[in-house]
Amino acid sequence: MTTTETTEAPPAWNKPPPNIDKDSREFWDGLARHELLLWTCHTCGAQYWPKAYCIKHENEPWAANLSWQPSSGRGKLFAYNVHHWAFHPGFKDEVPYYYALVELDEGPLISATMVGRPPAAGDVGKAVRIAYEDHPEGFTIPHFEFVGD
Amino acid sequence: MGSTQPDLAVAGLGVVAGPQADRSQRMMAAEAARLAIADAGLNISDIDGAVDLRRTGGGGDRGSYSDAFTRVLGLPANFYFVIGRGGALAGLGIAAAASFLQRGLAKHVVLVGAVDDWSKSQETKKHGHRGMAHAEKEGYWGKALGDLRAASHHSWMAARHMAVYGTTSEQLGAISVQQRAWACLNPEAKMYGRPITIEDHQNSPWVVEPYHLFDISQVSDGAIAFVLTTRERARDLAKPAVDILGQGFGEVAADLWWEKKNFQQMAVHNAKKQALAESGLGLQDIDVAELYDCFTAEVLFQLEDYGWCEKGDGGAFVEAGNIGPGGSIPTNTGGGLLSCYHLGDLTGFAEAVRQVRGEAGERQVANCEVALSTGHGGELVSPGMCSIHTTTLLGKAA
Repeated sequence: MTTTETTEAPPAWNKPPPNIDKDSREFWDGLARHELLLWTCHTCGAQYWPKAYCIKHENEPWAANLSWQPSSGRGKLFAYNVHHWAFHPGFKDEVPYYYALVELDEGPLISATMVGRPPAAGDVGKAVRIAYEDHPEGFTIPHFEFVGD
Repeated sequence: MGSTQPDLAVAGLGVVAGPQADRSQRMMAAEAARLAIADAGLNISDIDGAVDLRRTGGGGDRGSYSDAFTRVLGLPANFYFVIGRGGALAGLGIAAAASFLQRGLAKHVVLVGAVDDWSKSQETKKHGHRGMAHAEKEGYWGKALGDLRAASHHSWMAARHMAVYGTTSEQLGAISVQQRAWACLNPEAKMYGRPITIEDHQNSPWVVEPYHLFDISQVSDGAIAFVLTTRERARDLAKPAVDILGQGFGEVAADLWWEKKNFQQMAVHNAKKQALAESGLGLQDIDVAELYDCFTAEVLFQLEDYGWCEKGDGGAFVEAGNIGPGGSIPTNTGGGLLSCYHLGDLTGFAEAVRQVRGEAGERQVANCEVALSTGHGGELVSPGMCSIHTTTLLGKAA
């Protein structure tokens, strides 16, 4: 292999590991399939992230009236910040990075870093979509990028 | 005095300030407790209850210690427990201790909070980490993505307020500058003798934009303790009693933490309503405001949420100099978390006690009858914010 062919594999993960727990395992499995899942109520259609009992009515035991369902993966930039400091050494080569709060078209807010064109003042409210970064360690990190730039 | 006010008063205060490189949290807690008990004119043997005010679940989670300060100090307490949520310590501690005092289960309770964030940060810095050391938390979404510190997510609130209302970084700087002016009147403050201008604020490095370094609170060591008792007992003790006039509590989650408006307000509404009702006071009765100020925007939000200005007008309000020395609502008069030291809400609570006692030296606000102290914090709920808000009103004993 030449060096140019090896650039596709991301470097070994040197950041804090994703916090995958009993409540979020299915969600992270969705990211690995390149699906952004939202916790969805079968009774009334309300959607949540992260996992929660539906607040609009009584629930079945263990919130069994809800399950993870694919979303559009699209939303609007709600707010963003620019990390100039790498608080953890694993981010040293990435600063400054842009960390966005996104209001998904389905309603819930979710956060991830931006890829592609960095956001600037005046970009709040603009359309974004999810982008996926697969890692050989077995997980997929989500990002957002502007749509139609 | 309204009849609904709680039968509670602060009788003693103990403060350990400044870096404590060679001292443990429990020794700092024990020493602050010793100072508070002596300040009240009490003996160790008078203390029959102890509360450990410990930041939990928030950005600054810290492990507990197994050898409690009560054992170190030899306190003959009948009960000892830990309470706290993020930086909301004093407000919750008072509400919990009140039950023991008012049921006759205790006569004098000492409440103590100690932190060694500065010392710990000096250690973790050696391993390439910047800022405060953190314990791992279950369910923390953003860490792998780069949401690593309180500034990582709190700065969204400033960013959102800027996007919606046009608030500027210079306006946030006005908060930093005015609190620094207060700190320069407080020899105990970390930033005593180091006044700053808006230009200094603008020239301080970006940490997490829109936050400059000077928008961010201190990383501190230290401990603050106070003795809580009933009003009648407090009146017989060494120092002027400071009455608890009223309290209130609010949770962002009660209003749905995924409500978008929670990025431009704090959970003040219910907390304020309860505290004013219990005290029988109005906003105009408050002489000094000690507002939880982990970052500048939290101050801006609270000035709006309590009603000193309209929602969205906070930028212009602080720019006009309303919160500094000589301002219409003296705010964080000891320098606050931004310029004095960060011991959670105990920083502002101790300053409120001193202002009401008339012990605030050069920074004393004339005729200070009523002080407001607020707390804030909580677990980091994905993707959002600290949830709790506590309101405590303190006043000169009649």
